[in-house]
Amino acid sequence: MGRWQKVVITASMVAFVALLALALSAGGLGFTLPAGRVRDVARWYLFTTFNPDLELFSAMAPEGVTSIVWDYRGLDTLFETAVFFLAIIGSVAIMRDIKTGGGSKPKGSTGLSPIVKTVTRITVGIILAVAASIALHGHLTPGGGFQGGATAAVAPLLILVIFSRYYIERLGVSKNAMLAIRSLGLVGIAVTAFIVLAVTSLQGGVAYVFQNQPKPYAPAGMPYEVGGSLTGGTLLLFNIFEMFAVSAGFTIIFLLLAIPESEVLGVLRGGEDGH
Amino acid sequence: MDVLNNVLIVIGEIMVAVGAVADLIASTGMNRFPNFFVRLHAATVGTIWGAFVPLIGASLISIGADFLGPYRYFAAGGAVVTAVLVLILAPAGSHALARAAHRSRAARVFPKVVDHLEEDRGGSDA
Repeated sequence: MGRWQKVVITASMVAFVALLALALSAGGLGFTLPAGRVRDVARWYLFTTFNPDLELFSAMAPEGVTSIVWDYRGLDTLFETAVFFLAIIGSVAIMRDIKTGGGSKPKGSTGLSPIVKTVTRITVGIILAVAASIALHGHLTPGGGFQGGATAAVAPLLILVIFSRYYIERLGVSKNAMLAIRSLGLVGIAVTAFIVLAVTSLQGGVAYVFQNQPKPYAPAGMPYEVGGSLTGGTLLLFNIFEMFAVSAGFTIIFLLLAIPESEVLGVLRGGEDGH
Repeated sequence: MDVLNNVLIVIGEIMVAVGAVADLIASTGMNRFPNFFVRLHAATVGTIWGAFVPLIGASLISIGADFLGPYRYFAAGGAVVTAVLVLILAPAGSHALARAAHRSRAARVFPKVVDHLEEDRGGSDA
């Protein structure tokens, strides 16, 4: 690359950044973000997502995205969860004969240096706390069960890489334990989907599947606040169960990915090469 | 109170400016330094002076920004937490990188005075 070419490229990059900064500071995206005008659909969701005066149409949770995901279109999210579950089950089925644990610990120290391990011990706790916060506040602030679960799954991934497979097995994070947690999470989601219907049916009333707040002709609903704290009705339960299901699902995938290729190929090949 | 806020904002702005200068120095070093270990030094200049210091500065600015109301404490707290995380994680990360490069002999330890790690391993001067 010639000297002039370098000068031109550098100058154009500097000019681009400077122009972008100028445009932004001069209000290039508008001075009020988000824009003052929203579309009618968005206006309707913003109007109804938390509106005590309009309880028959409201999800009674101030977080619009979580309300849409688990209330307005809750069935769709259930199917998304099912797709994710099937993907995990598929990979577990492919790897069914391969032992994730039970191997003998290699001699000597494993994993990265003590400095990295110490820092990881600190940050794993922070990561789990942040994940719980994202999931448990999902009905109040941006976030939710899937996001919290994906964040929580970073903790076992870090332990897996920085300590070792054997260390994480000793902590009790095995494939079967994670499958159990994942199944419990999914059962919890299913129970939450039917909870209003089940309770109302026992009392002789009518309700919808996936019902959260009272709707026309179905006056039952989950309480949207407990002791003055907003719970979003079923949204909090959905978020908690989804967090367990997603974090356990991702952990299973990470555990499977941590198996050395030589062990996998030996089992997948079976007795005959090339078939 | 106004004076204190202004002092906080000015100190914060100075820290952000220091961070910008440090980022410029660090990126120059990344481009100009000859090999991995020296470049890693430039990179950590960019993370501590170029990320930790301006984050603390941002938290000072937001504490001094009266017009944000109570939200300024959220902004300041978030900035401080991020700064502490960067302070903990960046050295550990660069340490892991340097150690891996040294162990695998992927990078030559070039401008060196002494290499105790190599001596501990019983290796000769490479």
